[in-house]
Amino acid sequence: MSHAEHHISSIKTLTIVFGGLVFLTVLTVLTAQLDLGAFNVPLALAIATTKAALVVVIFMALKWDNKVNTAIFGIGILFVIVFISFTLFDTLNRGDLTNTTKGTVQDQQIQAEKLQAQEPDASAIQFNRTPQ
Amino acid sequence: MANSHSNHPAHLQHHFVSSEQQFDAAKMGMWLFLVTEILLFSGMFVAYVVYRTWHPEVFLLSSELLNPFMGGLNTLVLLASSFTVALGIHYAQKDNKKGLVINLVLTFLFALTFLVVKYFEYTAKFEHGIFPGAAFDPHGVSHGVDYAMYNVPYAKQFFSIYFVMTGIHGFHVLVGMGLFTWITIRAVKGEFSSEYYTPVENCGLYWHLVDIIWIFLFPLLYLM
Repeated sequence: MSHAEHHISSIKTLTIVFGGLVFLTVLTVLTAQLDLGAFNVPLALAIATTKAALVVVIFMALKWDNKVNTAIFGIGILFVIVFISFTLFDTLNRGDLTNTTKGTVQDQQIQAEKLQAQEPDASAIQFNRTPQ
Repeated sequence: MANSHSNHPAHLQHHFVSSEQQFDAAKMGMWLFLVTEILLFSGMFVAYVVYRTWHPEVFLLSSELLNPFMGGLNTLVLLASSFTVALGIHYAQKDNKKGLVINLVLTFLFALTFLVVKYFEYTAKFEHGIFPGAAFDPHGVSHGVDYAMYNVPYAKQFFSIYFVMTGIHGFHVLVGMGLFTWITIRAVKGEFSSEYYTPVENCGLYWHLVDIIWIFLFPLLYLM
């Protein structure tokens, strides 16, 4: 039997990792209170990714595991990245393709000018404005 | 011992050469399953990312209605349950039956705590008409919060995404409770040892993944 090969994480290691995860949870709650502008979301994602990495590497013991499992997990994550980024290539750029409706670009400009004449305040015709 | 039929361990099935090969095969199967779980949740994360990039101000406004204290508490509860599962496997590897059973029971109780907190969160939302889909109709005032203020276009989409993601995650927690009941009964019967603890290992892997999903859901839904 080759059970000696199974890595046994010490209670000390597991406790340190648990402490680290609790610390990072407190950190993400605190940094969310700060207004960092565009950096709030990347920071929260960076902290969450660090926490997930700790769980995967130590708690799930991928560090000491058969490398084929790391490959399976890595390929899975790769496809999640492809899924999210390729979807965003589409959805973030749809505004560039507004002339795909019926009528020409000129028709649409005439339509937009008519709307502008009815409602001079440009911000008022934004359909998704937040209430004052 | 590979070709011997008379003196192989009880847990070793005939189509495996050794316990080690059987363990590795089961674990690799579990990782493949976990990847399908990750892809299931990634579909919902894509929905979140698309609607968030389209309507960031609606997501910021709507997330004010979620209770970060409850979400943070549940994060700590799930982290603690991941810790107890890892401890359980440590004790299984050291042939400590008592340590294994205690940690499996603790994991079950943490999972139950998570769902109880989630129950209170959901009912607090339902009371004010915050439902997924067409039934979305925020109303009423509590703690100085006028819920009708939050009935803006695309708030419905935020809460639908919230309920579907946390709902499917919650279902996974429920499945985990069933698994830990099963594993605990087998552990009490003394079926696991350092020679054979594959089901404990694989249920642990599943449970850590459920924890990881929540690690991402908490900041994205409650804090941002």
